[in-house]
Amino acid sequence: MEKRCAFRKFLDGLKRPFYLDGGMGTELQARGLAPGEIPELWNLTRPDDIRAVHAAYLAAGADVVYANTFGANPAKYHGDAPLEDVVKAAIRIAKEAVAAASTPERPRFVALDVGPTGRLLKPAGDFEFDAAYESFAEQVRIGAAAGADLVVVETMGDTYELKAAVLAAKENSDLPVVATVALGEDGTLLTGGDVECVAALLDGLKVDAMGLNCGLGPDKMLPYVKRLAAATDIPVVVKANAGLPVVVDGKTVFNVGPAEFAADVAQLVEAGARIVGGCCGTTPAHIAEVVRSQPPTAARRLPTGNPHLPTTISSGTRALNLSIDDTFVIGERINPTGKKRLKQALTEGDSAYVLREAVSQAEAGAQVLDVNTGVPGLNEAEVLTRTVESVQSVTDLPLQIDTSDPKALESAMRHYNGKPLVNSVNGKEESLAAVLPIVAKYGGVLVALLLDEGGIPPTADERIAIAKRILARGAEYGMKPSDFVFDALSLAVSADATSANVALETIRRVRNELGCRTIMGVSNISFGLPGRPQLNASFYTLAMGAGLTAGIINPLSVEMMTAYRAFRALTGRDRSCGEWIEFAPSLVNVAVGSGSVGLGSGSVGSTLSDPKPTLTDPKPTLTGPNSTLSDPKSPSPLFAAIKRGLKADAASAARAELDSGRAPVDVIDGGIVPALEEVGKGFEEKRVFLPQLLMAADAAGAAFDVIRSALARTGGGTAPKGPIIVATVKGDIHDIGKNIVRALLENYGFKVIDLGRDVPPERILEAARRENCRLVGLSALMTTTVGFMEETIKLLRKELPDCRTMVGGAVLTADYAEKIGADFYSKDAMGAVRTAEKVFG
Amino acid sequence: MKELSAYLRMGGCEPRGALAGRIEELKAEILKAMRPRRTWRRVSVADIPRPGSSLLRHLAGCRDAYLVCGTLGTGVDALQRRLSVTSGADALIVQALGAAYMESWMDEMEDAIRAELAPGESIILRYSPGYGDWPLAAQRDLLEMLDSSRTVGVSLTDNMLMVPSKSVSAVIGVRSQELESGVHSRRGG
Repeated sequence: MEKRCAFRKFLDGLKRPFYLDGGMGTELQARGLAPGEIPELWNLTRPDDIRAVHAAYLAAGADVVYANTFGANPAKYHGDAPLEDVVKAAIRIAKEAVAAASTPERPRFVALDVGPTGRLLKPAGDFEFDAAYESFAEQVRIGAAAGADLVVVETMGDTYELKAAVLAAKENSDLPVVATVALGEDGTLLTGGDVECVAALLDGLKVDAMGLNCGLGPDKMLPYVKRLAAATDIPVVVKANAGLPVVVDGKTVFNVGPAEFAADVAQLVEAGARIVGGCCGTTPAHIAEVVRSQPPTAARRLPTGNPHLPTTISSGTRALNLSIDDTFVIGERINPTGKKRLKQALTEGDSAYVLREAVSQAEAGAQVLDVNTGVPGLNEAEVLTRTVESVQSVTDLPLQIDTSDPKALESAMRHYNGKPLVNSVNGKEESLAAVLPIVAKYGGVLVALLLDEGGIPPTADERIAIAKRILARGAEYGMKPSDFVFDALSLAVSADATSANVALETIRRVRNELGCRTIMGVSNISFGLPGRPQLNASFYTLAMGAGLTAGIINPLSVEMMTAYRAFRALTGRDRSCGEWIEFAPSLVNVAVGSGSVGLGSGSVGSTLSDPKPTLTDPKPTLTGPNSTLSDPKSPSPLFAAIKRGLKADAASAARAELDSGRAPVDVIDGGIVPALEEVGKGFEEKRVFLPQLLMAADAAGAAFDVIRSALARTGGGTAPKGPIIVATVKGDIHDIGKNIVRALLENYGFKVIDLGRDVPPERILEAARRENCRLVGLSALMTTTVGFMEETIKLLRKELPDCRTMVGGAVLTADYAEKIGADFYSKDAMGAVRTAEKVFG
Repeated sequence: MKELSAYLRMGGCEPRGALAGRIEELKAEILKAMRPRRTWRRVSVADIPRPGSSLLRHLAGCRDAYLVCGTLGTGVDALQRRLSVTSGADALIVQALGAAYMESWMDEMEDAIRAELAPGESIILRYSPGYGDWPLAAQRDLLEMLDSSRTVGVSLTDNMLMVPSKSVSAVIGVRSQELESGVHSRRGG
């Protein structure tokens, strides 16, 4: 901590830019480093060359040299010499060079250079976040012990890996941490994040400086440096390439010379960069020119932080600025309170159900998703972390991590890719002491409930007083007012006639007096009253009018989304009413199919089942040219819609049949099942192709959903067949085959528990045992992972002799399946349905 | 999109009706999600890692070759994960579209390589690790020679899968007229 403070003080006291060195690789190549050769080995074999490069940059005026350790992390490095020797030698050489150049008036510094692992982290790849962390941690421990003065994490192309590296640097040393990323020509990271994503993440992690290196020339970096400087008050670093690489005679060269480079860098300094150097293609001459061409030192006033910082949350690929002048939707549905089916899914580890909730809320217009997994008896730290990870794998929306368990909060925040909203802290000392340090460490925007040991105050005055106290306590942890969002707390208006007014006044005063943002779970207001959706929507409109920044609502509720879209259109936030115009047709849809049940907050209302009606083909035909699916015997619209693969039509046809008085069971047996049967048979006879089969199954699924919610309302219903557990085996991360099988089985009426991909044998066994499961479906794509499939089958055989296994995947054949001991082999998804029909009779 | 029907396993039949409509909608989504990147390097045939006899036969008459790697980026996989949650059909269609766009991207890369060839030079069919007796393990060396994780964001999993999944690595031999002896006249530039 001391070293970090001293670094910031030193920087703030400096009346000129702080200078870094230039390219190392370029210099080594000039000295004979061959392509494919490991540069770090030169620390041992050619230390004089490395020392000479450092010395040249120091002579050019660099304050800092990067030790030759870019690729020296255990995940990437595979040289013959031990990693520890390579890193130690690198730091020693750099220290020797720095010692020779330093004077008491002008100290110079050695940075441990931490580059990427070269692996892609989950869910994009297979590398675990914790493994990446451990790899960086080892490098940092060696480098810090060897005497580095600071740690630079650089050339990162993925926010998640960046987070692992920064955490490793901070937790395994007391050194200042500088972090820079490489942008492509489109201004994004390799995994898609932009400058604001990076700024939100690194600002939250409280690095000592952040910025950009590599990827672009200095001129191209200008707009991104401006955006960074607007997004953070942490010092901004730039280490640009000497232009874009050009291949000349088979060699990569960079064409921007020292003078042009220095002129561009001067503009970057003007735009807010306080720490500058060079990357690929830059030489000591470039750095010397940068140093020489800066205007006379003391006269310059370097930019200090931005006083109007945004409140930004982020995922790995999307940053959301919670502007105080706008209002945002937080989807509330991933919260098991009062939701039996979600509780069950969390207990079973059924990721598919939770993920559907995530995707449907995103499609309905939520901009943030709340994730709460508090179910008594479950290990919340584990379940919340796993759920956050899997929800992040299917949506780019930032999440609101919602828990009252500090252990769960820490684990979930640590593994979250980005800067989340955190729900919540309150004014009680116990809560502040537990939550503030965690959020301050990992970075998050914190929801603060305006209550304390005395309960929920009945007046806005007292609530504002609590808010002020929370801000003061947060400041002790380095948290700024922009890091908080205050919950105005809505209480049942049936119990206290003033509650709505007090909440609204609190919203106004938090905004006007504290300049802070507000948030509210809207639906409490109507507790105990009839007509809840309509009451909630009206209150929501009032709250937005009072300045509510974020409403925690059910985005599938027509009433709530109508209130939201209408408010934004009517107050000029939805310019030219484009969003309203896009939204309005779904209202017509709802009127046609009214009477569906809203699942949120235990309230009855309309549901936006399909906000964007799709596929209005005038002559929809699903079938291939040589197919004859028209069936004069069954002209029912439901049958036809399923056959043609029309989701929305199938749902409304099912609704119409129910409305006309048909029993749900008859709709299933008389409409859905025959249609599926016909399409399935067509597929087996090769008259219908796989995508058509799947579209028909999707349409059947939409019809099933309608019937299920009708059955749930009447309390009756037939239990689905199953359960069937499906998983892609350990080591395998491509799971399209498994997902198709799951979709088809579900749409044929089976209950499926999807354990996801890369699932170890023990987890499959545990789930099969808990569910008393009679059929487990396993998928493997690669020959290299079939071994894990065999291991899983053996384990199930031994522990659960009555459980059957079916297998499938690109590399499997019937013979191979038999050899590894599987009971059934499915050559395609329809085969899996047939097997399931056999097993469950 | 000539290969789309094949990638959809429709045996050459053109998608029609609802399926054709959905394909158009998903095209828009995948185009938003993909960030194509590519890198290549010209090397001497002698520098190609672990060549087996079938690759050397393929490269007969070539002195140089291009090591290439192209990808559509992590966004396509993310889109596919999202669509898999709600629809098997959507997941399959995006998978097929991704494969077809990947093929086009590699074709574009070959065009770009042709543009930098010397007069009299042409390129032959590309050849990937795992074909013939060129071991899949050569992929690791090939990607390292291209520094692919840093330049285009392509890396390998422990089980030798390329990630992002819509990625291709290959070697493309260079023929030159002076070396051309009339044999092996496969598709060239």
